[in-house]
Amino acid sequence: MRIAFHKELESLDQAIVQLGALVEKSTRMATTALIEGDVAMAERVQAGDDEIDALFLDIEKRALALLAQQAPVAGDLRLIVAILRVVNDLERAGDLAYNIAKLAKSQEFRDPQLKPVRALVSELGQAAGQLLSAALDAWATKDEKLAADIDIQDDRLDDLHARLIEELVELKGQDSLAIAIRLAMIGRYFERIGDHAVNISERIRYFITGDEELLG
Amino acid sequence: MKSENRTISTGATGLAGATGLAGVASPVSVSTDAPDGGGSGSSTFVATPDQVAASQCPQEQPVFSVRDLSVYYGKNLALKGVTMDIRPRCITAIIGPSGCGKSTLIRCFNRMNELIPGARVEGEILYHGENIYGPGIDPVMVRRHIGMVFQKPNPFPKSIYENVAFGARINGYKGDMDELVERSLRRAALWDEVKNQLKKSALDLSGGQQQRLCIARAIAVEPDVILMDEPASALDPIATVRIEDLMQELKQDYSIVIVTHNMQQAARVSDETAFLYTEVDEETAARWGILVEFGPTSRIFTKPKDKRTEDYVSGRFG
Repeated sequence: MRIAFHKELESLDQAIVQLGALVEKSTRMATTALIEGDVAMAERVQAGDDEIDALFLDIEKRALALLAQQAPVAGDLRLIVAILRVVNDLERAGDLAYNIAKLAKSQEFRDPQLKPVRALVSELGQAAGQLLSAALDAWATKDEKLAADIDIQDDRLDDLHARLIEELVELKGQDSLAIAIRLAMIGRYFERIGDHAVNISERIRYFITGDEELLG
Repeated sequence: MKSENRTISTGATGLAGATGLAGVASPVSVSTDAPDGGGSGSSTFVATPDQVAASQCPQEQPVFSVRDLSVYYGKNLALKGVTMDIRPRCITAIIGPSGCGKSTLIRCFNRMNELIPGARVEGEILYHGENIYGPGIDPVMVRRHIGMVFQKPNPFPKSIYENVAFGARINGYKGDMDELVERSLRRAALWDEVKNQLKKSALDLSGGQQQRLCIARAIAVEPDVILMDEPASALDPIATVRIEDLMQELKQDYSIVIVTHNMQQAARVSDETAFLYTEVDEETAARWGILVEFGPTSRIFTKPKDKRTEDYVSGRFG
């Protein structure tokens, strides 16, 4: 019963998976663009943000319509609430990938002296990407255990970020301050992507358990 | 009016033994034996203390305690093993699919089922600690003190004034009747509309007004609980909202039990919700209602414990 309603709910659930894939791709490409100094790739990430924003808006509108017209309750309501919150986290993560790509266009990071720092940034970027992937896997399968693990994996990301800051503080040479600041910003963006992945995992767990503690 | 001693008796002491009540009990067999099981016990989720706290209902002694209540119409079991509490100054909704026993249950609270030939009740319902199905309790007195509002408004074919005064008068009300009528009509949010036409026939009122008159009539006999069986189902949306708003006001002084097939209404107005569902005996095709889940409305509609509840409130089956 209520076939049309549940089909639309399922479709929105799927749309999150779709949006997640776009953001995952942007994050991956932004990391590569940064490490390899690939300006073209960076620009593709920036261009791709429009598609992310469009899908985000579409999901929000459809979720709102569903709330207004179908008055969902119980599990259906928790799912719509989770969708509305996750779509927000994904859109923000997309913006962060955009910011990283924008900074990646500057060739200053190609300097050989920055090799150790670049390695750390690369690790950070990959870890953030993996965390996001794990969150999206947990969403697709609605697996509570998978979702709960993400919080633990995020610790590694925070660790890497702290190590990056330590390295940047020690940076010497011409323009080192400006470079350190920009790399610190990039590090922060990756760390924030990780935070959004953790948020997503909490929304999944709220949907599954209904435990209000997870709403915070 | 809200005295501490809320009992059915017209005297002060209690149910049985007070002069108004002990009399000829109607010929209904009452048994406190547990009914023999028709299969495995149904799991009933009764609210735990922290859930009750979450429901915002006063954590006082219940107005009604239903204990293992079963209802039969002749040989047919209609309702099986219901156990639940109705809290004071709280709105309790009874929801469930058609034929699950919602109306049967609410009619037990004022012994109206017995007006149906062959109806029989097992178990007990305690009203402020006393079993209204106990020996020596006159069901007519129970009905005189606990009124019900029905789906189709049913005012008496009398004046507006007489509709409200009638019940109080036959209960022996000796106070100022004009004051009682005004007070009851005010409480039912109808006074301003009818104060200059109290002699007018109640049948001349609109559906929504008639329903509020029926509420005033129920209030006039000074109960502390009002029973409502689909009170807004026959009303238009605006009249419905007025009844729902009225229920929120009445809640300050009365417990309200409402049967509704409108889930959103139950979600909107009630503090606690009881979900009834039908069990079927495959072989005999016999069907009876059971209480599947009972708890704070906010929880029933955000994270119900039983899958049957989840499916019903989500509209996954009728």
